[in-house]
Amino acid sequence: MINMSRSISLGKILESRELLYTLLLISVILPIIHPLGIPIAVSARTKAVYDYIENNLKPGCHVYFEIYYEVAARGELEPNVVALTKHLFDKGCKIVYGSLASFGVIVFELMKTTAADVFQGREYGKDYVFLGYVAGGESAAASLAKSIKGTVSVDNYGNRIENLPLMQEVDKATDFDLVIIASSGTDTFAYYVRQWYTPYNVPLLFAALSIIAPSIEPYVGAKQAVGMLVGQRAGAEYETLVGRLGLGMASMDAQSTSHMLVLVFIVIGNVVYWSQRLSSKRGGGK
Amino acid sequence: MSLVIRKYIPQLIVSVIIVLSVTFYYIYINDSIAKGFSTADKALSDWAVIVTSFALIVGGVDILRFHLTKIRREGIRQAPFSTVTIALLIIMVVLATIGWYYSYADPKAGITITTQPQFRWLYSNLYAPADSAMYSILVFYIASASYRAFRVRNPPALLLLVTAVIVMLGNTTIGGLIWPGFLGLRDWIMTVPNTAAFRPITIGAGLGTIILGLRLLTWREISWMGRRD
Amino acid sequence: MISWDILGAWLSAAMVVWIYSFAYRDNLFYKLAEHMFVGAAAGYSIALALDSLNRVMIKPAITTPETFWTTSWHYVVPAILGVLMFAKYSRKYYWLARYAVAVNIAVGTGLALRTVPIANITRQITATIVPLWGSDPVTVLNNWLLVLITIGALTYFLFTIFPRRAEGARPSPLYYVYRTLYYIGIYGMMVGFGALFANTIMTRVGFLISIYLIYLQPQYWATIVAAILAAIAILLPLIRKK
Repeated sequence: MINMSRSISLGKILESRELLYTLLLISVILPIIHPLGIPIAVSARTKAVYDYIENNLKPGCHVYFEIYYEVAARGELEPNVVALTKHLFDKGCKIVYGSLASFGVIVFELMKTTAADVFQGREYGKDYVFLGYVAGGESAAASLAKSIKGTVSVDNYGNRIENLPLMQEVDKATDFDLVIIASSGTDTFAYYVRQWYTPYNVPLLFAALSIIAPSIEPYVGAKQAVGMLVGQRAGAEYETLVGRLGLGMASMDAQSTSHMLVLVFIVIGNVVYWSQRLSSKRGGGK
Repeated sequence: MSLVIRKYIPQLIVSVIIVLSVTFYYIYINDSIAKGFSTADKALSDWAVIVTSFALIVGGVDILRFHLTKIRREGIRQAPFSTVTIALLIIMVVLATIGWYYSYADPKAGITITTQPQFRWLYSNLYAPADSAMYSILVFYIASASYRAFRVRNPPALLLLVTAVIVMLGNTTIGGLIWPGFLGLRDWIMTVPNTAAFRPITIGAGLGTIILGLRLLTWREISWMGRRD
Repeated sequence: MISWDILGAWLSAAMVVWIYSFAYRDNLFYKLAEHMFVGAAAGYSIALALDSLNRVMIKPAITTPETFWTTSWHYVVPAILGVLMFAKYSRKYYWLARYAVAVNIAVGTGLALRTVPIANITRQITATIVPLWGSDPVTVLNNWLLVLITIGALTYFLFTIFPRRAEGARPSPLYYVYRTLYYIGIYGMMVGFGALFANTIMTRVGFLISIYLIYLQPQYWATIVAAILAAIAILLPLIRKK
C-alpha cells in the first residue's frame, strides 16, 4: 500500500512536463560531455549493404545519389551519406548527387563541409557532380531517369553539365550501377521505385530515417531495393565498417541514455496507471 | 462558353494527358509511335518541372500576402513580427537575385543563386538551425507521451509495448550490453511482422492512387480547381 | 571586430534555443524566431524555385539559344502556364491558373498510375507468395507469419464487409476464418506500430542530439545567453500576472 502511494506521488511529480523535458535534455547532454564508450555491434542488414557495394561495384562504376532530407535529419542521415560516399570513393566509384527537394542544396553543402576529408583529392566534375535542386517531385524523377542532360543543363554551381567529364559518361537511369536514396520522406522512395526501378530495373539502395523505415520496409521485402540503412544506428555501424567515425558514432551513447530514460518513463507511467486502476477498483468494491 | 474555358477544358486536359500517358506506356504499335510517345512523355515531365517552379514562387508570394493582410488586420501587436517575416523573405530573394545576376555577369566567379555568400550565410545560420529546431521540438512531446499515453490497457497495447521495447533496445548500443540478441530480434521484427503489417498499407496506397486517378479522369475529383465557379 | 562566422554561430544557437523554449511556454523570443524562420523559409523556397527554373530553362535559352529553340522550344508553353498561375489573385481571371495546375496534376497522376499497379500492388502480392512448407523451420515460420499477417491486415483494411451472422444461428466457418484473420491483422499491426513508435523515438532523439552537437555545444556561451533571454521572456509575464 505504501509502495502504491509512493508510485502515485512519483507519478504526480512526473506529471510536470517541464521536468520530463529537462530530464531528457540532461540525458542527451551528459553522455556527450562524458562519453560512455559503449561498443557497437554491426547488424546483419547493414553488413549486407556493405557487402553488396563491396561485391557488386567495380572501380569506375557510376552511382546516383538522391539527397532528400531536411536539415533536422542531418543527425540521422548524414552519417549514412558520408560513410556511403567514403565507401564508394574508396571503391573507385563516381557519384552524381541530385536533389528533388530544395533543402537538399543546404544539406549537401553542410555535408561536404563536415566531410571535407572524404572529398579531399576528389575532383569535382570528374569524380562527383552535384546537379542541385530540380523541382517537380515525381515528374522530375521520371524526367531525370530518361535524360539528366535533357532535364537540367546547368549544375548547382553554374557549370554546363555537358562540359563535365563525369556527365559525358552518364545520362539516363540505366547508366547507373546503383541508385542511393537518402531521404526523410516516404514519397521519395516511392518515386524512385515507380520511376527508376519499375521501368528501368536499376538497383536501389535506401538510407531512411528510422521513423519512416517501417513504412517502406515492404519495398525492401519485395526486393525492389537491394537493402536499407535505417537511421543513425545504421550510420554509426557503417562508420565503423568504413573506418571513419563521425556524427553517427558520437550520438550513440546519448541515444542509449535517452532511450533508457524513455523506458523508465514508460515503466513509471504504467505502474502509476495500474496502481490507480487497481485502487479505484478496490475502492469501488467497498 | 465561358464555363467551357474556365472549367471543362482544364478537366479535358487532365483526362487526355492521363489516358495518353498510361495507354502508350503499355501499348506498343510501332517504333515511330513509341519514339514519339517517349519524346512527348519526356517533354510533359519537363513541363511539370517548370510549372512546379512557378507554383513554389506563387507559394512564397502567398506568404507575403498573408503577412501583409495580418499587419492590416491585427495592427501593432502583430506588425513587428510580420515585418520581420516580410523583410527576411525579401532579403533572401534579393540576395538570390544578386547571385543570379553574377552567374551571368561574371560566370568565372562561380557565384550562383545558391552560392551567393550572404544568401548562403543566411540559410546556413538562420534557416538551417531554425528548421532543425522546428522539426526536432517534437522530441519533448514524445518523451511526455511515453509517460502519459503509452499504457497497457489491453492485450494489443501490451504487444505494442513489448515490440517497442525490443526495437528500442535493438536500436541502441546499451541494448547490446543487456543482451546481444536484441539487435537480431529488432531486424527480425522489422523484416517479418512489420513488413507484413505495412504491406497492406502499401497496397492500399496503390489502390488509393488508382482510385484518385480514375476520379480525376472521370471529372469527379475537382478540388484541384480551387474556388468554385 | 566580430567575424561573420561567430555572428552566424551565435544566431544559430539563439534560433535553436528560442524555438525550443516553446516546449516550456510560448514567449516573445519564440515568436520572433518563428517569424524569422517563416520569412527565411519562404524566401529560400522562392530562390530555389528560381534556381531550378534558371538551370532547366532560362540559362539554356540565353547561353545556347540555337540548341534551345530547336530542341526545347516547347518550354515556352509551361513558362506561359506558370506565369498564368499568378492569375489566381484576380477575381475575374482566377481560372487561368487552372491550366497550369491541370498539366501538373495530370502529368503526376499519369506517371504514378502507370507504375503503381506494378510497384505497389503486383510486386507486393508476389512477394507474399512464399513457400509454406520446407526443411528450414525458421524460414517456414517466418513465411507463415508473413502471409497470415499480410492477409490479416488486408482483411482489416480492405475486406471490410464482415460475413453476416443470422440471429440465433451458429456462425458459419467463414465467419470464424474472417474473425481470426481480422485479429491476426490487428495484432500484426500492433507489432508494426510498436516498431514505428520505437523508431520515432530514435529519430526525434537523433534530431535533438545532432542539434546539440552541431549548433549548441560549439557555442555554449551563445546557448546560455539565449536561454537566459528566453527564460526572462517566459517568466516576466508570469510574474506580472501574479
